Amino acid sequence: MATTTLTPAASAYRSGLYEWLTTTDHKKIGILYIVNSFLFFFLAGLMALGIRTELAQPGLQLFQGNELLYNQLFTMHGSVMIFLFIIPMLAGFGNYVVPLQIGAPDMAFPRINALSFWMLPLGGILLLLGFVTGGAAQAGWTSYSPLAQDRPLSSTGPGQDLWIMGLVLIGTASILGSVNFLATIFKMRAPGMTMFRMPILTWTVLVTSVLVLMATPVFTSALIMLFIDRNYGGHFFDPSTGGNAILWQNVFWFYSHPAVYVMVLPAMGMISEILPVFSRKPLFGYKAFVFATAGIGALGFSVWAHHMFTTGSVYLPFFSLMTFFIAVPTGVKMFNWIFTLFRGQLTFSTPLLFALGFLSMFLIGGINGAFSAAVPVDFALHDTYWVVSHLHYVLFGGSVFGVMAGLYYWFPKMTGRMLGEGLGKVQFVLMFIGFNLTFFPMHQLGLSGMPRRIADYASDAGWNDLNLAATIGGFTIAASTIPLLWNVFISLRAGKIAGDDPWEANTLEWATTSPPPPYNFDRLPEIRSERPLFDLRHGRSANH
Amino acid sequence: MSSTPGSRPSTTAIVGWLVAAAVLLGVAVLVALNASSVWNSFFPPQAKSVEGQEIRNLYDIVFAIAVVIFVLVEGLIIWTVVRYRRKPGDDELPPQTHGNNIAEITWVLLPTLIVLYLFVISWQTLNSVEAVDANPNLKVRAVAGQFQWSFEYLPADAKADTTAAFTITNPGGPEGGLFLPAGETTHIYLHSPDVIHAFYVPQFLFKRDVVPTGDFRERENQFDVEIPATDAGQTYRGQCAELCGVGHRIMTFEVHILAPADFTAWYDQQVAAKNATPAPAPSGTAAGPSVPLTAEGVKFDQSTLTGPATGFTIHFDNKDNGIPHDVDILDGTGKKVVDDKDFPGPGAKDYVIPPLPAGTYKYECSIHPGQMFGTLTVQ
Repeated sequence: MATTTLTPAASAYRSGLYEWLTTTDHKKIGILYIVNSFLFFFLAGLMALGIRTELAQPGLQLFQGNELLYNQLFTMHGSVMIFLFIIPMLAGFGNYVVPLQIGAPDMAFPRINALSFWMLPLGGILLLLGFVTGGAAQAGWTSYSPLAQDRPLSSTGPGQDLWIMGLVLIGTASILGSVNFLATIFKMRAPGMTMFRMPILTWTVLVTSVLVLMATPVFTSALIMLFIDRNYGGHFFDPSTGGNAILWQNVFWFYSHPAVYVMVLPAMGMISEILPVFSRKPLFGYKAFVFATAGIGALGFSVWAHHMFTTGSVYLPFFSLMTFFIAVPTGVKMFNWIFTLFRGQLTFSTPLLFALGFLSMFLIGGINGAFSAAVPVDFALHDTYWVVSHLHYVLFGGSVFGVMAGLYYWFPKMTGRMLGEGLGKVQFVLMFIGFNLTFFPMHQLGLSGMPRRIADYASDAGWNDLNLAATIGGFTIAASTIPLLWNVFISLRAGKIAGDDPWEANTLEWATTSPPPPYNFDRLPEIRSERPLFDLRHGRSANH
Repeated sequence: MSSTPGSRPSTTAIVGWLVAAAVLLGVAVLVALNASSVWNSFFPPQAKSVEGQEIRNLYDIVFAIAVVIFVLVEGLIIWTVVRYRRKPGDDELPPQTHGNNIAEITWVLLPTLIVLYLFVISWQTLNSVEAVDANPNLKVRAVAGQFQWSFEYLPADAKADTTAAFTITNPGGPEGGLFLPAGETTHIYLHSPDVIHAFYVPQFLFKRDVVPTGDFRERENQFDVEIPATDAGQTYRGQCAELCGVGHRIMTFEVHILAPADFTAWYDQQVAAKNATPAPAPSGTAAGPSVPLTAEGVKFDQSTLTGPATGFTIHFDNKDNGIPHDVDILDGTGKKVVDDKDFPGPGAKDYVIPPLPAGTYKYECSIHPGQMFGTLTVQ
């Protein structure tokens, strides 16, 4: 290879960076995904702080004279958090953990794996370029047409086109990634690793990949149609030229509702790895859990129009019924988790704390979602702050708490060092309190009629105190990331050495060194149940 | 920094109690401050329409079931976590329970029954809320354009695209907004000439999107609202609930409920005003020099204006087809000292500015304050 002509010193220096830029190792790519996602998480978090600062009190402060920027910020906050943080973050954990969990040396298509990762920062840069080319996309992350069309008072300028192209790239990355996961899970399992012995995280990544593969091409097509609308007079979604405004919402939500499960199923999978380990019991109802995951995936394709109850263009009873039904498999999971803890021996390490945070917050996100399934109640709540509360209880109280649990749980495997428990608990307490202080008052704001996506509100509307509380909570969440960053920083240098299996865990990734060698396993333990390491430690008997 | 599993239960217990104490303390303080208003904040405002009252009844049932489920499940989580923490001496493995089919069937069937019940009662409420009266007492078309509401009162045999008997162009104030008769049913058509908006009145517990349908006017959304007879004299606020652009937040309107007799008098007066010969345009009122200002592409052509303290006239030329603009003047504290009436372009108007104390002011279009503003110097 050409690099052999370099001087030894230069090649030694370059090889570190060069290795990370060209790697096809699923573990390194997984770490790249995670680091990249955290960068976008902090960026979109700063945008949220801008929004919360403006809303702290009535009157315009931060965005006086520049309300368009406010609209750009909430648009990009949503877009970046969803497409560049939660989805890739979970894909990153999947990338790192799934091949290890099924005893494979790598993903099925390592180069495609690298390609799908590198499309993400590129897509993210495209998305953000709008800020320096005359204004980023400003029509909300949902980009409803005709507001997303290129015309005065709507979405003129290149920001919206950059948003479209960025999401096309990110969507393509998702599709490639899902094909890779499916091929890996179906074809690369170690001998003995039957489907019903796969860890739950692997199952949730499998179902998620099916969702991505079926839904994302629809969204990508819709994005291209919107691009044609804006630039070449396509008239797909523009009623003033014979198009249909509601058609966009149908295709958008046909992807974006299943995307909610893409954002939460792998987090559920992580919780389902962590709860058994820290209660020293197997997951209660493994098969029921698998069927519930598949059930959520299947039902997830029949509920998209519950985002459109007030459009007057969808058959309400059908989508109401299906939305209520999806509560059933979700409830099955909730009870299985609780009964995993039941009669266990719980050790409150940071991963378990975040996992318990997931349980109790996701419960609220499920229950307040049922209000909107009752269509007439949704007529009152839709597009108010109630919905903002609901979606954050699912995506923050659920997914982000799951990601944090996963980070504390797998960090020792990825780096060979433990994260500090003290700082971890400080982070958990701050984040838990800040989260509830931010998003719980939004229930009441929504009930009393505060709409989403406004930069200001009347001072006599009765929304002042609740908004101030939410803003204080927002800054508390921001503060909670400081112990996290400090913890990662010092633990990478001087954290406690983890060893192969610091948690007495059950699944195969803990059977190899921390961090694992490039090809993952020198040898594999016998796989005769969904807990091969437990069997190795305690022997496999009828009692277990 | 890190603890090995089970070795330091005291730290974790302290953390757990701290979290619980902080949450409980916060809740206790809030509740003690004002128990009844805290309780009321978990409910929508008191419903001011017959349909809204039915939605409120449904909300109350859903809320009750939600609270019971939340308390039971969250209580179960907390109890389990507290009860089954690992204690010193817990070296033997706990029973390795892999599952229980009877339990699984129970928590499939019970939630299924609950959600089926919720579905049936919400469907019933839906049918009743969506029902449309064949002979409504009144028909109104709410028109939502970027970024202002107007209300067109229609003849009794009107369809979605029938011309209005008269139009209320101001969305609020004593003479503007949506006027509805108490004790009667009004059929409301929703029309948008540009993007999607949403008609939302919190006191109706109801919103419906105002979807632009181009030439297919018959596809526009419509619904009935019936006001209880006892609510005459009340006024409340409505607001656009679907993001419609930079002026989304200013798309508010007022709903005024009139007693039937007052409503009839108001209606006749509006029709008479519409039929009267339009008053001649005010002439000769222009005081002082005339300062030109043009709006085009939702922008003012000038970012600074200068006028004498003795008063002057702004000759305002609005070139934006179908988009309303105005020129309001705000003093240094942000208080509006001149509130001119907006009008859609294309068209021009002379705004007479009364004498103002010398100083620096801000002028803006009250409909697009984010994009259209500038500095006025009064000498």
